[in-house]
Parts: sequence; structure tokens; C-alpha cells
Amino acid sequence: MLTTAPYLRIRRPSPTAAEFTVSTLPPLTMPLRLSFYAIYALRGILSSLILLFLYATWAQSPYGSFPSPNPTSSLSIATALSAILASGPGVLATRLASQTPPRFAIAVCAVALYLLTRRMYTEESLLVLRGLGIQTSSSKGNILAGRATTRFIPTAKIQDVLVNEAFLGFEVRHYLVVVVDGEPDVVVVFPKLLPRADVVERVWRGVRECLGGRSTARNGAMLGGKG
Amino acid sequence: MHPFSILTLAIFVAGYITARWDLVTRLYELAIFAWDNGVISRIALGFVFLSFAFLIFLVPVQHIARSEADLVCFCFHLSPPSRRLGLIEENSTLGHRPGESLLGNSLDAEALSNRGALSDIVTSDLPGVLVGWRNSDLDVVVVAVLDHVDPKSVENALKTGILLRNAPHSVARIFELCGQASMHVLGLINTGPGVVPDPSWVQATTYSSKPLLRVTCTKASTIQTILFDRPNPLRMQYISLNPIALSLSGENRTLDAGSHESEVEDEKQEQKNKRKASQLMEKIKQHSVVQRPPSSKDKALVRIVNQINWAWELEHLLQKNVSLIGPRPKRTLSVSERVVEQATTMRDTAALWVWNMIIIYVFPIIRRAFIITLLAHRLAAEVLLLVLEWRLRPTSPALKDISATAQQVEIRLLQFCYWPMQYVKLRRRKNDWDSVTTSHPDYIRFYNSLWLVANDVIIGIALGSYIIENAEWVADMINMLLGKYTITALQSSISWLMGWPAGLKLNSELALFLGDLFLWVIDYWSSCAQTLEPFLPQIIWFIGFSSFAGASMPIALFSDLLSALTLHIYSFYLASARIFHWQLTILLSLFQLFRGKKYNVLRNRVDSCDYDLDQLLVGTILFTLLFFLLPTVIVFYLNFALARMGIILLKAAQGEFNIGIIIVLLFHIAHPRKGEYTMTSATVIGMLLTPYSQFLLSSAPCSANISRWEIGSANTTCPPVYYSVL
Repeated sequence: MLTTAPYLRIRRPSPTAAEFTVSTLPPLTMPLRLSFYAIYALRGILSSLILLFLYATWAQSPYGSFPSPNPTSSLSIATALSAILASGPGVLATRLASQTPPRFAIAVCAVALYLLTRRMYTEESLLVLRGLGIQTSSSKGNILAGRATTRFIPTAKIQDVLVNEAFLGFEVRHYLVVVVDGEPDVVVVFPKLLPRADVVERVWRGVRECLGGRSTARNGAMLGGKG
Repeated sequence: MHPFSILTLAIFVAGYITARWDLVTRLYELAIFAWDNGVISRIALGFVFLSFAFLIFLVPVQHIARSEADLVCFCFHLSPPSRRLGLIEENSTLGHRPGESLLGNSLDAEALSNRGALSDIVTSDLPGVLVGWRNSDLDVVVVAVLDHVDPKSVENALKTGILLRNAPHSVARIFELCGQASMHVLGLINTGPGVVPDPSWVQATTYSSKPLLRVTCTKASTIQTILFDRPNPLRMQYISLNPIALSLSGENRTLDAGSHESEVEDEKQEQKNKRKASQLMEKIKQHSVVQRPPSSKDKALVRIVNQINWAWELEHLLQKNVSLIGPRPKRTLSVSERVVEQATTMRDTAALWVWNMIIIYVFPIIRRAFIITLLAHRLAAEVLLLVLEWRLRPTSPALKDISATAQQVEIRLLQFCYWPMQYVKLRRRKNDWDSVTTSHPDYIRFYNSLWLVANDVIIGIALGSYIIENAEWVADMINMLLGKYTITALQSSISWLMGWPAGLKLNSELALFLGDLFLWVIDYWSSCAQTLEPFLPQIIWFIGFSSFAGASMPIALFSDLLSALTLHIYSFYLASARIFHWQLTILLSLFQLFRGKKYNVLRNRVDSCDYDLDQLLVGTILFTLLFFLLPTVIVFYLNFALARMGIILLKAAQGEFNIGIIIVLLFHIAHPRKGEYTMTSATVIGMLLTPYSQFLLSSAPCSANISRWEIGSANTTCPPVYYSVL
């Protein structure tokens, strides 16, 4: 809805560093930013309501029946929780919880919480630093899991960077791989989005240019053109 | 004591309290009692009175004392300890001359600086000197920033080694590991306009408003800076290019003679795949389009990583010695300072005397006793291990292959034997700089396994005290379940099969014979089980007691108990499987006869054969007979196979619980700490700004690796190093 098809963004602050980002998040304009904030707020409210509902279900189950709170200890977690249950949304949640079978309700809530904590966009990037190495990063699917998984490969261990193709369903996809010395598996760049061949080629040229200087890049492009 | 051990101890105490919950309830009752008798209000009154007195008298006195002591502080610590820049790195391609950079060989410089001090950068505009390593002409790593000193005198001090005085360990080792002969002055920070720097020096400027560092260098055309947090070696933080190898070294165990054939097959397959992958690698190497020899910069990365790992300790050493250079106001001690100094010396002398006495008289006895216990323990462990490893014949399974308990005991014994050696190895690193990172994985591994065992024991105490308190009930439950499922249910299913089950027309004579046979054995077994019944509570109590050695022990014992109490099902399964298999092979060979063919053993194939009429007739009759008897045998076989499968599933679930759940769960609880510990690859976060780029170096935790290691070690656990270290 708020995302676009994956597109490429290149930042080259200096000739020795380049960052290639493939993202489904469009450039943030003010209305877009506001709508994102609104959606996040809505998600937060919904999640807290679901949590409240789950707590109400728990309180109604035979396991959750607390003994009546001690009047001498006025400040405790139990009293705070019962106060929450006595409030307006709490009463609503209690009534809902008493009407739905708990097993079904818990399954639905788990699915809903999972959907609510999903990240709305995918962003994957490749950072190339000449003489140091390259770093791949890929945003995680869930908000709670953290921002991104990154992997840094030092230059000495990079065997080759190449474009490969593979079947995915009924189509052929081109993807960029880094062959790492001494590892049985190759590292796939942009593993989730798997952008189109033209994007992959542009990134590949950029990486070669940035890693090996200008002369080798020209050489590589010439050979690539022949192939 | 290491904070990690303290944490383990605290968790142990917490676990013990959980296991003995009544202690907490006692305390709670005590608190209620105290509240009722007004103890707390009296304590509160006393507290208020004391704090009032404190405010009136102590605070002014302390203020006076501090203003006196501040002078001392100033003398020794002129510059704040954690200062801004960590590392500046300039980097260049072939041409260094500015003229050549026009040809396209751009020069670039990278700077790594300490992020812990980014907030410092924001506030501090003090001028200072950058000191660090110069890897090549324009490739530098900043270790420390020395404030208020003259760059010339710093250079002289570095040459003469004044700044590295009072080092706890050998200074040569620093230079050896960092790969450079000496440290240099690399540049200036926040200099005024009047200073004329050397052309190769870096000039950095901080901005008070932005977390930004402006770096310029007259020799470099483009500059790349990388900011980093100095990894603290005291907290086991270090940067490494390879993900930390937590698995015990030497994964390739030699295959046991008694191990399964399928395992050998799997191993072979794995090796084949590995070989294929390496061949593919070779091919890719041959087909690479552009062969680029690794530049000196690529090779220097290892050295740079080492230099970053050393930054913390070196920075501390330099800041300690910075007072030795330059004109420093040296002040004589005031009277109060002298009093303080003499008092501390007096106290130190007394403590030293007591300590010496202890070392001379008490320590040898303790040490001797400790060594003797360790030796005895080791001896017992070795004997037990030998017993566990013993095989009747080379091909027969050892005790540890049969019994889950034996396996568990073996794992524990190996761990206990391994720990002292590992500890000795870890003690050795006290003699070296903390920044030598080779032994850090060992250290982390050692405390991980300690931590896991401690947690296992805590859960074991909770479980064990529960089992001991309810031994009677648990025994009753086990008895009831066993009677219900392994005897009554089996009996009813067999008698169901003796009729015509589900409309299947079985051979009633054979079914009656087989059913009667099994029923009779079950009867005998149930009488055996009844004689065992009165001892069951004792056995359960023993199992509960064993759980003080860890929660995995009672689980293993229960698994063994289960296999002992369902021995009859196992034997039934074996017998019926034997009959079934025998009948099936006969049927198959008779079927060849039926088709007029014969199995040729010599050529390992089926040949056609001319049978005589009587041979064919007898063979066909036998085939028909056996074929009609087959359903009856199949039904009995299926019955016992299902029962056996149920037991195997149960044991597998127990084993899974034992290895998988507990350890992985514990690891996920413990994980935040691990993430802090194990720095893996140098992750560079982009913070891109023109015209030069500035990056941030941060650490990536390696969660997947750790949990994989833990499961792996729980399965194999035999540290191959163990015998070789001996």
C-alpha cells in the first residue's frame, strides 16, 4: 500500500566507498511520514488491546484466579492489573473473553500479534569499502527482532563477486553472489528482494569499480560485454 | 572474581531459593510480623534522623575533604581518562604525491575514532595530540588523544619510550602483535590557527553541535574515517574478522567401531559434499575474470584489527604516563595528604604482614589438600570412564551406548576432567596483556559450560526436591500408568487380535497359538512387576536424589527405568519381527519358484530354472499355506511394532527435552550477556557524509553460532583435546 516496487539507491560519498540500497520504501515525503507514524500508532494501540484481551482471558481461566488482593498492601502489581481490568476497555475485553473459547482466541491473537509486528517494508543494502571489505545487510521481517542482519566480508576473503541465475518458481532470477574463500556456501546479496537483472548488473559494475579501481572495472565491463 | 561468575553464583542462589520456596514464605511472614509490630516505622524514624545528621555534619566535612583531594586528582589525571579519537586511518593507492592524484589515483584517508567518546567530542573542544600507529604513509590508527601537550615532546617521549613506562607486561609484545616498530604522533585535534603542522599530519576538528568529526590532511585528497568503540578487553570484548569459533576444536572425531552403519554412511556423504564444494571453489578460482593480487592494504586488515583490540589498554597506559612529559606543575604534599598517605601505608603494611603469614603457613596445606582431592577425583573419574567405555567384544556396544544414564554420567565426568585443565590454561593469560585475544574463546567457552551446568543443577534441585517430597505419589502414578498401558492395554489388544479384528479373517489356530503365548508371557511379567512394586518408591526417591547432579540426570534415569520396565514389549517386538521376517523371506523365494525362476547366488541375479513337477507342486502348496498365514503374523507384528514405536517416541521426547529444550532455553535466557561478550565480525555502519565518508564500527552478536555449539557439544561433548592435552 505505502510501499513501492524494489528500486535501487546509490550513495557514493567518496571514490573509495559506495552503498547500494535496494528498498521497497519510497523516499519519505511529509504526508508519507505522517501516515507511517499514524500506522505505527494504530498498530501499537491494537497490540496493547490484544494483550489486554489475552490478560482478560488469563484472568478468567482457572489458573489466573488470584486470591482477593490484600487491603493492607495498596500498591502492588496485582492491584494495578485489576484496576486495568476494571477500566472501560478492560470491561469490554473481559466480556469478549468470556464469550470466545480460549483456545481459538489465543490462536487468533498470536497470529494477529505476529502480523502487527511485521515490518512494512524490506530494505537490503551492500556497502563497499575499498581495501577493507564489503558488508551485506538485510532488514529483518519482524520489528521486535531488531533492525537488520549484517555480514562483513574482508577483502582478503572475497574470492569473486558474480551474477548468477537460478530458477524461482517458473521464472529465472538473476542474483548477485559473493564467493567467500574457504566457505562452502556463497553469500547472496539482496536475498529477500532479489531485484531485477538490470539492477543487479548496475550493482555488480559499481562493486567492481569500487573494489578494484577504475582500470579493472573497465576490463571487467569489456569482458562482461563480450559474454 | 569475574562478574560472570558472580552472576552464575547469584543465579544459583536464586534457583536454590526457588527450589526451597518455604524459605521465601518464612521471610515474607517475618516481614508481615515486623510490619504489624511497628518495626518498620521505627526503622524509618531512625533513618530520617540519621540522614538529617548526615546532612548537617557529614556533607560539609566531606565537601572540605574533597576540595583538598581534588588537587591531588588534578595532579595525576590532567586529562579525562576516556578521550575522543581512537583511530584515524589514511589509506592510499599507488601514488602518494598530490600531483599524481590528478591522474586518478585518488588518495584517501580513513579515521577510526572512539564512539564511546562521541559525546565527549560534542562537549570538548580541547586541543590535543593524536597518537597511534602509522601502517603506511597515509594509513593510520589513532589509539589515544593526549591533551595539553606539545606534539614535539610527545614525539620525543614516544621515541625514548617514556610514555610506555610502568607497563604491567612486556612492551615488546605490543609492537609484535600490532605489527609496527613504534607509535607516532599522527596529528592534532582542535588546533588553533597559529600552529603549522607537518604535511603528513592529520588535523581533526570536533563540532560542539554535531556528532561529527572533521578530518583534513594536506597530503590526502579524499579521506575515509571509521569511528569505533574501543573494545574493552577486561570484559572480553574484542573484534575479530571471523565469527568466533565456539565449538571445541577438532570436530572430526574418529569413528567408533560400534557406531551405526548409517552414521558412517552419513559421514561419507558429508565428506563427499565437502570435496565437491572445494572442487567447485577451485574451478571458480580458475575462472575468475579479474585476478587481483591482494594489496598491502588487504593484508594490513588483520594488523588493524589487532591494533583496535589493543587500543583500550594502550590508551590507558598512555594516559597514565602523559603526566611524565612536558612541564607539569609539581606540588608538594599538604599536611592532610601526608597524614592520609601515612595512614594508608600503615594499613597496607599490616595487611601485607597478615597476608604473608597466611601464605607461609596456611596456603601450602590448602594447596596440598586441594591437589590431593583433585587427583583422587580425577582418578575416580578415569576409572569410571574406563568402566563406561568397556566393551565385551570390540564389536559389542559399550555401556554408554546402551544406557542414557551412563551417557549422562560420561558427559559430566568428561566435563569435570576438562575444567581444571581449561582453568589452568586460562590462568596463564593473566601473565600476558589482556588484549591478547587468542584465549578469549576458551574463556567464554569455559564459563559457558560452567554456567550451563550450574543452571542444570538449579533446575535439578527444584525437580529433585519435588520428586522426593512426592515420591509415593509419583511411584503410584508410574505404577498405574505402566499397569494400564504396558499390561492391560496390551492384553486387551492381543485378545482382540485373537478374535477376528476389524473383520479380518485370520487363521484362528495360529492367532490363538501366538496370542496365548504372548498372554502367558505378559502374565508372568506382570507378576514380576508386582514384586517390584514395593521398591518403586525407593527407586523414585533415588532418582529424585540423583537430580541434585543436574536435571538431565533424573531424565536419563527415567528413560532407563522406562526401558527396563517395558522389556517385555521389546522382546515381543523382537520375536514377532523375527517370525515376520522369516516368513517374508520364505515367501519371496517361493514366489520365484512360482514364477519358474531361481535366485543365483553365484552371479547375484535371478535366473530362469526348469523345476520338476513335484518340486513345483510342493513349492506352490507351501507358498499358498504361508501366504494365507501371513495376515495373522502381520497383525501381531504391527501391534508390537506400534507399541515399541510409542516407547521409542517417548524416550526420544525425553532425550529431546534433556538436550534441546533445557539447554537452548537456558541459552536464550543467558543470551544478552553472550551477545555483549562475543564480538564477531567488524560491522561497518554507514554514516555517509560528503566530501569524506565517516563510518561507525559496531559489533554483531553471533547467537546462532552459540546455540548450535551448545547443542553440538551436548550431543558429542567429548572434547577431543582432552586426551591430547594430557
